[in-house]
Amino acid sequence: MAGLSLKSVKKRFGETEVIRGVDLDVRDGEFVVFVGPSGCGKSTLLRMIAGLETTTSGSIEIGGRDVTGEDPAKRGIAMVFQTYALYPHMTVATNMGFPLEMAKRPKDEIDRKVRDAAKILHLEQYLERKPRELSGGQRQRVAIGRAIVRQPGVFLFDEPLSNLDAELRVQMRIEIAKLHQDLGTTMIYVTHDQVEAMTLADKIVVLRAGRIEQVGAPLELYENPDNAFVAGFIGSPRMNFVPATVKSAQGNVAVVTAPKVGLSEVAVTTRGTPPAPGSDVSIGIRPEHFVPAEGAAAVLSGKITIVERLGGVAYAHAQIEDGNTITVESRDAREFTAGATTRFGIDPKRAFLFDKDGRRA
Amino acid sequence: MKRSWRQASALYGGLAALALIIGLPFWWVVTGSIKLPREIIQREPTMIPHSFTLQHFEKLLQASDFPVYLLNSVIVAVFSTAFTVLLALPAAYAFFRMEFPGRNTLYRTILLAYAFPGVVVLIPLYGLFAKVGLIDSPVALVIVNVALALPFSIWMMRSFLATVPREIEEAAVVDGAPTTTILLRILMPLIAPGIASVAIFAFISSWTEYLFASVLIVSDARRTIPVGFAGIIGQYQIDWGLLLAGATAAIVPVVALFAFIGRWFVSGLTEGAVK
Ligand SMILES: Nc1ncnc2c1ncn2[C@@H]1O[C@H](COP(=O)(O)OP(=O)(O)OP(=O)(O)O)[C@@H](O)[C@H]1O
Ligand SMILES: [Mg+2]
Repeated sequence: MAGLSLKSVKKRFGETEVIRGVDLDVRDGEFVVFVGPSGCGKSTLLRMIAGLETTTSGSIEIGGRDVTGEDPAKRGIAMVFQTYALYPHMTVATNMGFPLEMAKRPKDEIDRKVRDAAKILHLEQYLERKPRELSGGQRQRVAIGRAIVRQPGVFLFDEPLSNLDAELRVQMRIEIAKLHQDLGTTMIYVTHDQVEAMTLADKIVVLRAGRIEQVGAPLELYENPDNAFVAGFIGSPRMNFVPATVKSAQGNVAVVTAPKVGLSEVAVTTRGTPPAPGSDVSIGIRPEHFVPAEGAAAVLSGKITIVERLGGVAYAHAQIEDGNTITVESRDAREFTAGATTRFGIDPKRAFLFDKDGRRA
Repeated sequence: MKRSWRQASALYGGLAALALIIGLPFWWVVTGSIKLPREIIQREPTMIPHSFTLQHFEKLLQASDFPVYLLNSVIVAVFSTAFTVLLALPAAYAFFRMEFPGRNTLYRTILLAYAFPGVVVLIPLYGLFAKVGLIDSPVALVIVNVALALPFSIWMMRSFLATVPREIEEAAVVDGAPTTTILLRILMPLIAPGIASVAIFAFISSWTEYLFASVLIVSDARRTIPVGFAGIIGQYQIDWGLLLAGATAAIVPVVALFAFIGRWFVSGLTEGAVK
């Protein structure tokens, strides 16, 4: 088991800087999830931790040891790839035992550890099969098994479930959570999937263009995002942003208006000193935080273009008066009729304010 | 994909024409080898043999030096093939995966080896082998054959390596496998069809090589089939039956090799790895 620490880590491919100075501390046993838009450098950062990519500058410590220039095999990590990366010509048992074989462990120890891992992953009856004779979920389990047998200090996962179908994904997600519970090993996990990130993570790292935008517990990022990017990225469907202007400010409350969409004088609580009156801001409202229009402190009205009914919830996509589209969630699908102009109530207490550079105000 | 009747007939017609062009000479050689001499030299050639005899083969194996040439050819070809494969694999891997200065330039340059006709390097090579005392030795032929087959083999092997998903190698690196282990335990089994192709290419190049074998080998007892066989023809004027029997017998090892190596040409070796 091991903690991990990245210090001003950078990566350049030729002229392009892909990781632009990342500092991160991961406690021993923590489950950390990297999220961010495609191409932001999640995989690259993970591969740098694994040692599959060299580090251009900065340092990587695993378990208190500087491993920046170390070979992948000597870092005390194990990696699970999105594409499983099994050895197709070897049996499941040989696949799982391969790292131990490379470490020149005695045969009986290899056998025992492979059988132990197979038991945890329900692979016992498949040990003599070849990967091509397994289902996708079983293959990914073998890949995880191959990682487990090494008893690494840190597990690295790069979108391990994205090749699986939805149902299997849910099942494997729960298995990975269990695995983390049972082994208590540090895990770093890259994903595109909101639900995976929110449910698995002790700590989410939001990356954008090679930089960390914010690090925090899932709910912390949800409830208290540092900027519009994180606010938009965490939470699904995305947060709505409505351009507005600060009318007056007092204490840590800003009164904003957006006459174009019919909002006058909405008092939004800010984190610190509110922006000066006259500054351009945007109000952030999550789709799930709209309230009934009657009795609401402020109301947006818009023409519903599309209604998505998911059973438990429904989403209305509505065009508001400045031409932008907002998404509104409701538990009651009957509230929404496509084509109807509808009033949506805003709860200012649950609204966020961002300055024109996207920083949280 | 469904083909229309027209497309299908064009396709099969084309294929049949090609098969005929390639197959007819073979047919004529093989059937000719069992015809009586007078049928072979008949004014109207027969496609279906009217006579049957094994006399040409008897003469070939008993009264000519063919068995010696055959053995020489097999020895030279087997060693040439083995060394070509053994050298092409690590070389191709180096060009494929390792980073060293001048890699791309070198990779493009090796194919330049084929820009020079054999005759151009024949004299200098002869001088070179004479200096180290390898004239009239099968070792010289093996060296030449390997040198001739290697550039293309490396090139071919590299494209086969490129079909192995990168993650498999990376997983092996993380698992602590040294480069040689990755090459031998992971990549080699996965590119077996590539190795088989290279082996066949190297074997056939060596089997049919004439120019160097005719100059670097002096004594009759060390000749390979192409050169030795040319001698047979001259020696007995043109004994067509013997010639055809010899040509037929010379094809046999190649056919056997195809049959033996053919089992490696299975597709889907990497199936289950990354999907
Ligand atoms: N070997 C490489 N050479 C050059 N550029 C690279 C290389 N590998 C990655 N990049 C670039 O680095 C950036 C980050 O890539 P990376 O694969 O880390 O993104 P990612 O966040 O994992 O994206 P995704 O979510 O699509 O997997 C991309 O712009 C990519 O083009
Ligand atoms: Mg990625």
